[in-house]
Amino acid sequence: MRRQNQTPNSNIDIINVIETKLKDKVQIQLGQLGKAAIVTSNGLHRDVLKAMVEADEKTAIIAITGLDLGANLGVLYHIRTSNAFLTIRAEVPKDNPKIQTVIDIIPGAVFHELEVSDLLGVVFEGNRLPGHFVLSEYWPEGVYPLRKDVKASEIKLNPPPPEEEKQPEYGKIVKIIIGPQHPALLEPEKFAVTVDGETVTKVEPRIGYVHRGIEKAAESRTYLQDVYLIERICGICNTIHACNFVEGVEKILKTEVPPRAKYLRVIALELNRLHSHLLTLGHAGLEIGYETLFQYFWRDREPIMDLIELTSGNRVYASLMTVGGVRRDLKDTDLPKIKTTLEDLRKKLPFYRQIYRDEPSIKARMQKVGVLKREDALKLCVVGPVARGSGVDIDVRKDEPYEAYGEIPFKEIVYTEGDTWARMNVRMNEVEESINIIEYAIDHLPTGPFRVKAPRVVPAGEAVNRVEAPRGELFCYIKSNGTAFPERVKVRTPTYANIPAFLKTAIGENIADVPPNFVSLDPCFSCTDR
Amino acid sequence: MIDFDLILRILIFPGFTFILLLTLFCDWVERKLEARLQNRVGPMVAGPGGILQPLADFIKLLTKEDIEPRDAKKTVFKFAPLIAFTIMVFAICFLPIDGASVLSTTGFNGDLIVILTFSTIASFLLFLSGWASCNPYGTIGSARVLTQFLGYDIPLFMLALTPAFIAGSLSIFVIASSQTIPYILLAPWAFVLFIIAMQAELEKGPFDVPDAESELVGGLETEYTGAKLAFLHLTRDVQIVFGAALVVELFLGGPYGPVFFGLPAFWYSLWFVLKLLAVVIVAEYITTLFARLRIDQVLSANWRIILPAAILSLMLTVAMVTWVYPLV
Amino acid sequence: MANIITWARVKSPWVLHFNSGACNGCDIEIVALLTPKYDVERFGVKLEPSPRHADVLLVTGCVTQQCAERLKRVYDQMPQPKFVVAIGACACSGGVFAGNYNVVGGVDKVIPVTAYIPGCPPRPEAILDGVVKLLNALSPPKPKKQPKQVKTPELPKEEAKPEVAKPEAVTQQEVKPIVEEAKPNAKQ
Repeated sequence: MRRQNQTPNSNIDIINVIETKLKDKVQIQLGQLGKAAIVTSNGLHRDVLKAMVEADEKTAIIAITGLDLGANLGVLYHIRTSNAFLTIRAEVPKDNPKIQTVIDIIPGAVFHELEVSDLLGVVFEGNRLPGHFVLSEYWPEGVYPLRKDVKASEIKLNPPPPEEEKQPEYGKIVKIIIGPQHPALLEPEKFAVTVDGETVTKVEPRIGYVHRGIEKAAESRTYLQDVYLIERICGICNTIHACNFVEGVEKILKTEVPPRAKYLRVIALELNRLHSHLLTLGHAGLEIGYETLFQYFWRDREPIMDLIELTSGNRVYASLMTVGGVRRDLKDTDLPKIKTTLEDLRKKLPFYRQIYRDEPSIKARMQKVGVLKREDALKLCVVGPVARGSGVDIDVRKDEPYEAYGEIPFKEIVYTEGDTWARMNVRMNEVEESINIIEYAIDHLPTGPFRVKAPRVVPAGEAVNRVEAPRGELFCYIKSNGTAFPERVKVRTPTYANIPAFLKTAIGENIADVPPNFVSLDPCFSCTDR
Repeated sequence: MIDFDLILRILIFPGFTFILLLTLFCDWVERKLEARLQNRVGPMVAGPGGILQPLADFIKLLTKEDIEPRDAKKTVFKFAPLIAFTIMVFAICFLPIDGASVLSTTGFNGDLIVILTFSTIASFLLFLSGWASCNPYGTIGSARVLTQFLGYDIPLFMLALTPAFIAGSLSIFVIASSQTIPYILLAPWAFVLFIIAMQAELEKGPFDVPDAESELVGGLETEYTGAKLAFLHLTRDVQIVFGAALVVELFLGGPYGPVFFGLPAFWYSLWFVLKLLAVVIVAEYITTLFARLRIDQVLSANWRIILPAAILSLMLTVAMVTWVYPLV
Repeated sequence: MANIITWARVKSPWVLHFNSGACNGCDIEIVALLTPKYDVERFGVKLEPSPRHADVLLVTGCVTQQCAERLKRVYDQMPQPKFVVAIGACACSGGVFAGNYNVVGGVDKVIPVTAYIPGCPPRPEAILDGVVKLLNALSPPKPKKQPKQVKTPELPKEEAKPEVAKPEAVTQQEVKPIVEEAKPNAKQ
């Protein structure tokens, strides 16, 4: 069932709630790091979170950032409620970096805490994992890469762990390892799926195969070089990563981007969303053995790649974003070409929509598979089409419009079934909405400059920013210390938030349902691992 | 006295070489058809129009290094694909291809059951080859092959009995040659069900669960390399030719068709090949146009739909033959 | 006999795609090769799921530390004769991520590479061009038709411009076997 996004934004003033409940114990700094930054100490952060969760059911943790502040380690909890976006600050001393976990209040925080403990050494009491989470098994103990005193060239790796002699198992399969090299996954990740017969009982992920240490690398490159580095977090949603970072830097610089640049950015972002959705819709066909559908979708994706090449010069890495605007302008002679290609794609959409809605083999493989109920979706803090397929209507383009999205009318697609079929249909309908957005943007493209000059050296400050990537909400936190190099760049990608949902929905399903379920959350592991 | 004619028949035509070339040709036809349906071109470089592509694949596989996993059951791992291939070719030798079967006889009463049994044994050997590789993917893949083909054997046998009943004999030669009107017209329900059951038996089309790459990596073929892999692929392709040939014999009138001039054997072989290609094309259409079903959906389709339908079809055919057709 | 074997190997290269820590850009372009616009099946290339079935290993990605061991293992599982193609700037040398703490940097630090295809990501036409050049370099040159074709066997070295020093020592052993293998067969 499809529902328009019309739940009214709730009128809960979350700042008020916190002020009344925890008056003198916390310090509220309005206007910093979102709507407000709430400075607490260890232990009180749980009370603040509990108050928020009780007041607003849509409270979700966006990310947990770890900072190296010299003598202390900072832990920032970035929270999203139905109408606010704020941060809770806490600090722990480096020699005793223990802080209480929050996974009993919000289960979706589990991955974020594990990553901070892996990369910075903060110990979350109540949430510990044997071994590493993101780093490899050769990583030496006690060395935390994101700390300022650790240099990449000085790390000595451990020898590989001894290989256990495995007894060959005849006939009785208990644990199936999917990955790291697997035809279903384009990327290497390992999922150890424990089955009982044909039913899945547990899924244990092992991520970190694509961890390239981008956050640490960003600290040793200038802001402009970082645009190209952050863009390469993911090849599929590269434009949005660049836009996210660039917007964050512009917030610290307090630069206003000219209107033409905003519209050009919107066009580039929506083209990116188009090609990403078509990719997923085709890839889903491959997973359920429908190779013909895969070929058809990717055939129709090629004109979009041609459009990206037309607007930016490169098929995949558009590299259009820069601090202060975009790097290239769009010629007026190109606009009719864009419109013609989009018209052709729009004509093919009813055929594809009908397939995803009515085709019996797709319904047989995708309906009632991987059901994620609305309460679970809220607790696990899922984002993007996964959330919108389960009835949770969050979309950053509507909730907190950025660039020119505030001026462009479009619909937010929400389905309530929560299964694989619903999620794929959300993406299918978003394709049409993207075409509408691009056409509106082309028709209303303002004249003027497409770029303003921005200073190379960024003044000291912090900024958070979130945008809507094709896979969900993308978030970044940038801290600058007045030099030409950023002090800390933290990116939280949508797939990172969605994987815990997959771990939950796969349980109790047939093993053959794992690939379609998996593809429906549109995993992008290079985003996850950074 | 050495019967040179028989030896030539077995080795060259319509025996081993002919069957091998026909298999490679059908493989090419399938690949080109699948490519065209997907808006692509398919193999183009190996030979004119890519017709030598399956041969190139086969030769290349033969010359690759042979790796045997340490834990695999050696004898079964080595010989199961080869024996499966041999049995399938032997089964095809019973079918009349140019008017008479390869062995130059007119068969015997009951050879329909014999060749269906051969097909079952060959599938079982495929299962064993996956089982013997001691790889988790191989084990699951081969277990799925076993459940699927054993389940679908039952309706397949029943549907194969329908033309036998109409012809009044269990000899393939008699069934094929007594089709003045092809049985596809006399019992179309049995034909449709037989095609579906054949798709499932050959692990093609919406029923190709054991080939599910996204779950099982290579399925039962995962650990095979080199010549053994070549024979596994060849066994699969020969099974498809066997299935199509069975459909041709049972429902489409076998190799018999109008003879225009010259040697009847030439025309009979030509009709056989044309009818075979038609069945292969229909089967490939069904494969390309549908997504893959899940294993439990495949099995429930068998026990809940195909098997009762096969029983009903047999009953319907008996009723038609006994009471309706003598009136016509 | 050797000619037939080489012909069969050149006309039927089955590929296995391994992502050793890439951003997905190169991987999407590789999968795009199968789609109607580029259709790599014309050349007989099939994307295989299992390392045991493949001849050519397409590696993308700057090799992360976790993937390095898996890459070696996948390479070892492939039967001879096998070839490795490093696709993308990251696979050639580590690309934008060279020097990061979790990155080994470049596929040739782990396994011997036969061909390098630079680009970020390389266009599908460039990948196809590189694969075809690799195949042409494997067939013995035909002196009758085009005498200039004799230069073709050097092409794999040309593509590895900055890294010529190190990989040459490694790849020469790998490119030669197909010619050496042909020789004993020719004596049959």
